[in-house]
Amino acid sequence: MIELAPNHKYGLAIDVPLMPASGAFGYGDAYGDLVDISGLGAIVTNPISLQPRQATQGRRIAVHEDSFVVHTGWPNPGARRVIRDYGATWERLTVPVIVHLLANHTSEVARAAALFSAVPNVRAIELGFTAAASRKRAVELVTAAAVEGDLPVIAQIPFDRVDDLAPYLARQGVDALTLTAPPRAVLPVDENGEDPGVARFGRGRLYGRALFPLLLNTLSRWAVKLPVPVIACGGIASPDDALACLTLGAAAVQVDALLWRDPSLLDRIARALAKPRAAYPAVTHLLSPNEPETEENV
Amino acid sequence: MDQAPEAGEFMLADLGGPVREALFPSTPVGDGFDTVVPPGHGATRLLPGATVDMLGPLGRGFRLAPTGYPIARLLLIAGAESLPLLGPLFQAAPSVVLVVEAATRAQLPPPNRFPPTVELTLVTRDGSAGYLGPLEAEGAAPAGLERAHTRLVELVAWAERICVAHDPSRYPALAALVKRVRLQPHADLAQAIVRVPMPCGAGVCDVCRVATPRGERRACVDGPVFDLLDFLPE
Ligand code: FES
Repeated sequence: MIELAPNHKYGLAIDVPLMPASGAFGYGDAYGDLVDISGLGAIVTNPISLQPRQATQGRRIAVHEDSFVVHTGWPNPGARRVIRDYGATWERLTVPVIVHLLANHTSEVARAAALFSAVPNVRAIELGFTAAASRKRAVELVTAAAVEGDLPVIAQIPFDRVDDLAPYLARQGVDALTLTAPPRAVLPVDENGEDPGVARFGRGRLYGRALFPLLLNTLSRWAVKLPVPVIACGGIASPDDALACLTLGAAAVQVDALLWRDPSLLDRIARALAKPRAAYPAVTHLLSPNEPETEENV
Repeated sequence: MDQAPEAGEFMLADLGGPVREALFPSTPVGDGFDTVVPPGHGATRLLPGATVDMLGPLGRGFRLAPTGYPIARLLLIAGAESLPLLGPLFQAAPSVVLVVEAATRAQLPPPNRFPPTVELTLVTRDGSAGYLGPLEAEGAAPAGLERAHTRLVELVAWAERICVAHDPSRYPALAALVKRVRLQPHADLAQAIVRVPMPCGAGVCDVCRVATPRGERRACVDGPVFDLLDFLPE
């Protein structure tokens, strides 16, 4: 049993330190028989706002070699509709549901958190911030969710804000941290038969294997220093990747959009993590997790 | 492969990239299917005999006889570049009329590509061959040319089912045409396929959302074949 919210009155205990990342798995039932949800530690929903949101128009994905960017605007039917459509499904699940809220306005986060806290088996709120959210704003949003929702609050930290936000929010009472949200990036669009010779680009959230060493770097610098549990997310594509994250101090891992290519990835990681910890392969550290980062060793 | 995709359904193929790509059947072949992909597509880099991991069949395909009652008269309408999507329907009814629209003559497929039972109606938007397009344009044609619209109205009145594969920006006008001709068209009388990137195929990623006047739909689970009248302007 892994406790992801040890300082919260209800806690957030999970059996397996594994869950799909927000935006990678829908609202729980999309993959049907392709994924054994009972083998996961929890599910994390797609991002949800209080009010319905529409998708962005135009190209929403750009694929280039081993990476891709996605820009959808996080369309969703709004909190009430999600509860109506998926509340019964969540209640039947044998694993906890972590609802991911788009954290834009404190009043909306507060109302959405209050709505979801009344749904059976919703056991935590994960907040996704805009990259520009100030520390003060981030704390206000976390507080709004915590006070109105009464559930553990996990903050998903924007990729380039870890140094700034993660230790600050941990001190301000967030229950756990997801490191990190996908970075923003621009990729050239592979022609794939479309308008050859016309250079086009896509901007959005970056996914791909290239994120994994960046994640390990972040974990090696922060996971054991932070006073709250850390959930690792970014480019995890194998059981060994997940084990490496846990070895570097993550309490659990999230598998992001790489599972679209291989939904069985979740089951394979779940099986690997179900083994006793002594059986985890050793990971050789280039940097001790506690070694301070200096000009020389960066 | 346990089951081959039907017309309008798709397989998600792992072609070595970071996301899967949708492959649509153009012709059923034994237990499998032929597919047509554009030049430069990941599938063109496969070597003969390569094994491809596929998920599917996925999506809602064309629904020709949802009540089990077979239809006799099928109208197919395609833009030249989307024509392969209708390939599995060329022999789906005793009487099939295929309307193919291209910008110009050189983009029209050779007539010998089709089974002899398919009655072809060719349309070019510059009038270089067949009827003068665009399909939905009314009004007098220049001397020596005949508008496609008049012919299309006849065919829409004749058909028991209409299946469309074209540029989705044309669907509102084609839906309006069907509505005008058939007055009270029943659900699924006319169906249209929308081809967009579908990286997850499971209704998860929202990349495949299609805007219609009746709200957004996801091509991978709500489609990729929709009721054409879903695109009817409000
Ligand atoms: S392909 Fe992902 S939602 Fe349709």
